[in-house]
Amino acid sequence: MYKTRHAWGFLSIPLLLLFVFTFIPAIAAFILSFTNYNVFQPIEWLGLDNYMRAFQDEKFINAMFNTVKYWLMVTPALVVVPIFVAVLVNQKLRGIKIFRLIFYFPVLVSVVVTALLWKWMFAQEGIINYFLSLIGFEGVGWLINSTTVLPALAFVTVWQGFGYYMLFYLASLQGVPDALYESAELDGAGFWKKHLHITIPMIKPMIFFVAVISTMSAFKEFTLMLTMTKGGPLDASTTAVLLVFEEAFQRLDMGYASAISFILFIIILIITLINQKLLDKNPN
Amino acid sequence: MKTFKLNYKLLLTLLLGAMLVFFTACSDEDANANQDNASNDNGAADNADGDNGSEALSGEVEFMTISLRPAFDDYLDGLKEAFEAEHPDVTVTINDVPYDQVEQIILTSASSGNLPDVMNLNKDFVKKIASMGALVNMDEAAADVKDTFFEGIWETGEIDGSVYALPWYTTTNGLIYNPDILAEAGFDAPPKTYEEAWEMSKVIYEKTGAYGEVIQPEMHILMPKNGISILNEDSTAAAFNIPETVELWTDYKSYYEDGLFPIDVLLKQTEMTELYAQEKVAWWATGPQLFRYIKDLSPEVYEKSLGGAPLEGKAGVQAANPMNIAVSAKSKSKDAAVAFAKFVTNAENQLEFAKEASVLPPVIDAANDEFFSQGEDSEDATERGRYYAAQALHDAMNMSLDVSNVTEINQAIEDAFVKVILEDLPVEDALAEAEATVNGLLQ
Repeated sequence: MYKTRHAWGFLSIPLLLLFVFTFIPAIAAFILSFTNYNVFQPIEWLGLDNYMRAFQDEKFINAMFNTVKYWLMVTPALVVVPIFVAVLVNQKLRGIKIFRLIFYFPVLVSVVVTALLWKWMFAQEGIINYFLSLIGFEGVGWLINSTTVLPALAFVTVWQGFGYYMLFYLASLQGVPDALYESAELDGAGFWKKHLHITIPMIKPMIFFVAVISTMSAFKEFTLMLTMTKGGPLDASTTAVLLVFEEAFQRLDMGYASAISFILFIIILIITLINQKLLDKNPN
Repeated sequence: MKTFKLNYKLLLTLLLGAMLVFFTACSDEDANANQDNASNDNGAADNADGDNGSEALSGEVEFMTISLRPAFDDYLDGLKEAFEAEHPDVTVTINDVPYDQVEQIILTSASSGNLPDVMNLNKDFVKKIASMGALVNMDEAAADVKDTFFEGIWETGEIDGSVYALPWYTTTNGLIYNPDILAEAGFDAPPKTYEEAWEMSKVIYEKTGAYGEVIQPEMHILMPKNGISILNEDSTAAAFNIPETVELWTDYKSYYEDGLFPIDVLLKQTEMTELYAQEKVAWWATGPQLFRYIKDLSPEVYEKSLGGAPLEGKAGVQAANPMNIAVSAKSKSKDAAVAFAKFVTNAENQLEFAKEASVLPPVIDAANDEFFSQGEDSEDATERGRYYAAQALHDAMNMSLDVSNVTEINQAIEDAFVKVILEDLPVEDALAEAEATVNGLLQ
């Protein structure tokens, strides 16, 4: 009884904060998704109209399509690239901590600063096109071309995020017993075989975890698009959350924006549940 | 070790309680809103004589400004003190907010029922929230001062036939140009018209590699300047799908294909300030108050630059681009708020602010001050630009559409033009597509 009271005491403040700043707004947004709320005028109940409208709205369909494309570019890279980096920085070498810090450094830079830096580098007359011109390639309008804009944004996300996921893998790798690698070496296994048959199976739960986290983060990405492209050119980089922002704060259509948010929430929930099922089937 | 059991009944009660609080708050707010709106017309009419009204004003007035502090601290504090001295029972508080957060701050304030009494807003946002009944009708509340403003600028706050904001300060374009680039291309003066500008651009591009005229993302301004109306007279349908627009856009497309202007600026990926400061463009037509950005980026380029008259299109008019002051329809001190809005925008205060901020006053008396007839021969680009911009003020017209979704309509036209440039969509198809979109938005 004494322990329970103390536990509730410790939990009460975080629970209260969670309730006030997460649950109540989420419930309010869910209710508003069935209305025409625009801040200034009386609310009218619309039933499922906002949800029906979303599935007929070209802007929403385009935004979802862009979000899925962006996710398919970002998540595989963020699942795979950090594994390689983590394996590299897991070596017992002198000064390896400096390399770990260097790879982690982009994570420490704010998204807005990262976005502005890369916006300048991707500019028509930016440094990337300058280097390309040195090796005989013509400059590319990275952020002003509908074909290249999403890959460019995905690249920036991977550049900034791989250090973060590298740390997860590194922690997981350090839990893999050295004896397994030593036995494999005695059996004649090379670098690739060791990692394919020992490292990957041993860190599989972490791979699933990274897949889930990076999926959620890809579906929620917003700042990069807002800062680098404002969704352009011609909505080629408008993602679902950017559309929510535009509908809510530029068109003042809070009800519709809330409906889009909940559609997005359901999609992320489904993907997370699928990942969870897969994880349950492959616990180790 | 005890385990926790979730108390579902308690959770459900809390959730229902939260929902009840939420809806109660909304319904109270709506009831108040309706009550306020109902009394608004009467209140506004009562206020027609504003700050020289017969009753003593009282209450608290919150004034929200945009990115004016700390640069204009003295001016703003002076306004507050002067108004409070005239009306001892009124307390004014001034809150300055960053430019890019204005709309979010207004929305969060409105949703919590704390909209500032007096707000500095841009004309498009005025229309958006005025159409939702959030602002006081200034045609009624400020009828006594209406004639002191330039008509074309007064009308920029108009929606559905009524004006909902007082113009505070405005800009019309001047021109900043780089005489070195012009001289290298064999010119000794900047262009006067768009037609001349494009002809010169060809020569400048060939001889120097720099750009001359650059199309910025403001097709909704370029079209009226060339005599093309965006909407019909009663703002019920698109009116721009005409042969003149086809001709204009076809010309622009050919200029782009000839490399005469970069697409980056049109897509908001590069700022004109950067291009001009790097001497990649020969001139830039904009409000003279923005010339100082060139001075910040490249003092040497600014030093050799000169100011000139804005370019004229076929219609021979310039666009007025004012910053407005609006009063919340839900203000608890509406009389005092309207009086303060009129006080801020009177000729004396506008003139003082215009002198400090290199902007132009939308009030005729202030604009006629000799300050604005000086600078024609100044070596300083801003001073000379301000002279020409002030001259253009008299012919400035309202190019802002009289509809609430003006931003979406402008964007639809911009997108159609970008499709012509970027995706080679035929001009006729792009215009038809934009026309259909705009007509859809107007329904």
